[in-house]
Amino acid sequence: MAYLALVVARNYCLTMMKLPTREQSGVLIAEVSGRIDHTIAEEFTRALAPLLSNCALGRAPLLLDFSGVIYISSAGLRVLMMASRQAKAQQGSFAIAALTPLVQEVFTISRFNLIVPCYANVDAACQALAQ
Amino acid sequence: MNQTLALASALLRAGRGRLLPVLLLALAAVVLGNIERTPLHGLQTSQFDRYQRMQPRARHEEPVIVVGIDSQSLVAHGQWPWPRDLIGELIARIQVGQPLAIGVDIIFAERDQHAPALIARRLPPSRATLLSELPDPDATLAAVMARAPTVLAIVGLPRELPGARLPTHPLPNIRLDPVSAAKLPRFASALASRPELQAAAAGEGFINAGPEEARAQSEQGIQRRVPSLVLIGEQPYLSLPLEMVRQALGGGEVTVETGAAGMQAIRIGDYRLPTQANGEVLLHFGQASANYYLSAADVLAGRHPPEIFAARFVIVGINSIGLQDRVISPLGDSLPGVDIHVQMIESLLEQAALRRPHWMPWLEMGALLVGGLLLIVAVPAWRPRYAVLAFAAVGLMLVGSGHLAFIAGRWLFDGSSLTLLLVPSFMALLGNTLIAADTRRRDAERQLQESRVEAARTAGELDAARHIQMGLLPDPEQLFAGERRFAVGAVLEPAQAVGGDYYDCFMRDDRHLCLAIGDVSGKGVPASLFMAISKTLGSTLSRRHSSLDAAVCDIDRELGRSNSAQLFVTAFIAVLDVDHGTLDYVCAGHDAPMIRRGETILRVDTDAIAGPPLCALPDFPYHSGRMSLLPGDLLCLFTDGVSEASNGQALFGGQGLADCLAGLPATSPAAQCRLIRDAVRRFEAGAAPADDLTLLLLRWDGPLNEY
Repeated sequence: MAYLALVVARNYCLTMMKLPTREQSGVLIAEVSGRIDHTIAEEFTRALAPLLSNCALGRAPLLLDFSGVIYISSAGLRVLMMASRQAKAQQGSFAIAALTPLVQEVFTISRFNLIVPCYANVDAACQALAQ
Repeated sequence: MNQTLALASALLRAGRGRLLPVLLLALAAVVLGNIERTPLHGLQTSQFDRYQRMQPRARHEEPVIVVGIDSQSLVAHGQWPWPRDLIGELIARIQVGQPLAIGVDIIFAERDQHAPALIARRLPPSRATLLSELPDPDATLAAVMARAPTVLAIVGLPRELPGARLPTHPLPNIRLDPVSAAKLPRFASALASRPELQAAAAGEGFINAGPEEARAQSEQGIQRRVPSLVLIGEQPYLSLPLEMVRQALGGGEVTVETGAAGMQAIRIGDYRLPTQANGEVLLHFGQASANYYLSAADVLAGRHPPEIFAARFVIVGINSIGLQDRVISPLGDSLPGVDIHVQMIESLLEQAALRRPHWMPWLEMGALLVGGLLLIVAVPAWRPRYAVLAFAAVGLMLVGSGHLAFIAGRWLFDGSSLTLLLVPSFMALLGNTLIAADTRRRDAERQLQESRVEAARTAGELDAARHIQMGLLPDPEQLFAGERRFAVGAVLEPAQAVGGDYYDCFMRDDRHLCLAIGDVSGKGVPASLFMAISKTLGSTLSRRHSSLDAAVCDIDRELGRSNSAQLFVTAFIAVLDVDHGTLDYVCAGHDAPMIRRGETILRVDTDAIAGPPLCALPDFPYHSGRMSLLPGDLLCLFTDGVSEASNGQALFGGQGLADCLAGLPATSPAAQCRLIRDAVRRFEAGAAPADDLTLLLLRWDGPLNEY
């Protein structure tokens, strides 16, 4: 019984990270929130996978709304790097918008804006990506 | 011994633990089907007796009076047998009160020994004349009996005995189907009263306790069943009390209700009494009472008003110590045999008897099988404690429904035997459940033990890996032991056994000191492997190129070649001209190092030249920056294990490091590293470090004075 509860709880946790999506001016926007660190990186990768598989040439650009992300570690950056590479390989557009100050600082130090295009806010990103 | 245990365990667990319980249930069903041949039958009957004791039949009225020939009567009127005319006088006294019917629980099989005619035979003929003119006592009794409905007792005999006489008042017009008739008790012969008395009586009723008498006596002598109808010489007769009721109702017909299995009830007038298939009545006894017993002496002396007998049944019987028969009722009372007749009349008038129809044993069998199968399905699926509760619930339900059935309709349903019969099945089920639980617990313990062993083994391997990783890092104090132009100190503490941080320091040539710090994305073993590669490649390639830009681009390229896991490394690599203090540096996504210059803290300016982490963006053209150090400057390279150390609420941060640097005492860089490390750990206040911590301090002391 306890074992079953454990399994259920584990499966629940694994599928817990949800990325609510919406569309704006032809751009698919996924909202990311919380701490993106070592413990959640794998889950973040899994949640991103279906969105990324649709991020290809001729499809809607994918924009991650980072306004709810309060922290990102190097493991989180790695997920973004891999996502960016996959999008690039599929000739799709992938970008991030609305970075909070702490996350912005991490991006600045690590120069990750060279790897993933970053925009100040969602509207600006949509405008740029829609072109 | 072990083999026996193993065999028992295998048997218990056969068929997923259900084979044995099913077999035991089948055995229980066989026992229930033949319960009368098992000791369980005693339990069953005593359970039924218990029902009666808990709820005896209420006796509201006293429709029957017993006129007992008791010890007092014998004292008053002499020894038994009494002259028949005295009995005639007694009956005549009773008749004055106009009772419904009189039953005589005495058989007058032979002539009265006190008959004057018999005495006259012993006297000389001259003296005998007077006697022979006196009335005959038997004739007197017959004359009295003829005046009102009187029922005489008869005893059925299994075979012809001397003096046997068949009764002469069979039931008129009774319809008996062959099945019922075959089950009724039969007597070939009988003991009845003299013909003139028979002729004077309205009816005759038997007083046998039934052919079961012998067996009933053996079961603690408790009288539970009383026959209602028997065949004597193939003629149907009612028992004495029932015949009395029939006579009171005018001597009408008796109807027998029958079913497929035999008799179900007997109906006399409007009164109906449920019976067993063989016509026996399961009496529901009421509490014994002495109220309705009158002494024959008192009746003869006229001490009771005649009205006491009005509209009542009266039984004349013997009620004297030494002469009477006594029976024990299920209520535990020791009663005169005549009391059974009283209880029988009351039962008929109340139309109440215990009911155990022929289908009741089948109902019990059904309940046993349903309860057993429910347990067999449910118990293995539940935890032992719920299984025990379930069994208690089933048992309670069975026993409870037995009591309820008795209270609701005097039905005899044996819940206790069923519960008892379910016990072996349940024990087997529970045993198996407990064994299964025990096995699971042992398995869990074994797995825990295995995982501990595994963890210990892994820890051992990680420990070895940690030694190797730490061995990769140079010891600056030892490396630059005799150096007077600069001093270097370093600290590296992985958050886990192994980590992804590294630092490096070596002299590329006499003048150039190469410094590097790196942080592989992620933590643990994967990061540590990549750290080893990065550190080794970094140190090798930096030695090969005189230009720092080219070296870093080369490192980036080479690392990217062997990076299937898509890790990246933030790094800061610098080359110091130790004679002039010129610092060339490349920043690959790493925090800009700090410099303590006198009282102030500066940051190395990386904004213009910083690139992404190594391996993050293929073929990125890294460029180097340049600055000059002043003698006494302290350069501090660090990773985010320092800047992002957390106490749960806030981060140590760049400011924390800057404050710490500003307050460092003038000692060796190695000691200063340890002081900063201690400050960080104090800040974390015991919390587990989130990331690997690495510090590299370089103090440039300026060019050597050349004399």
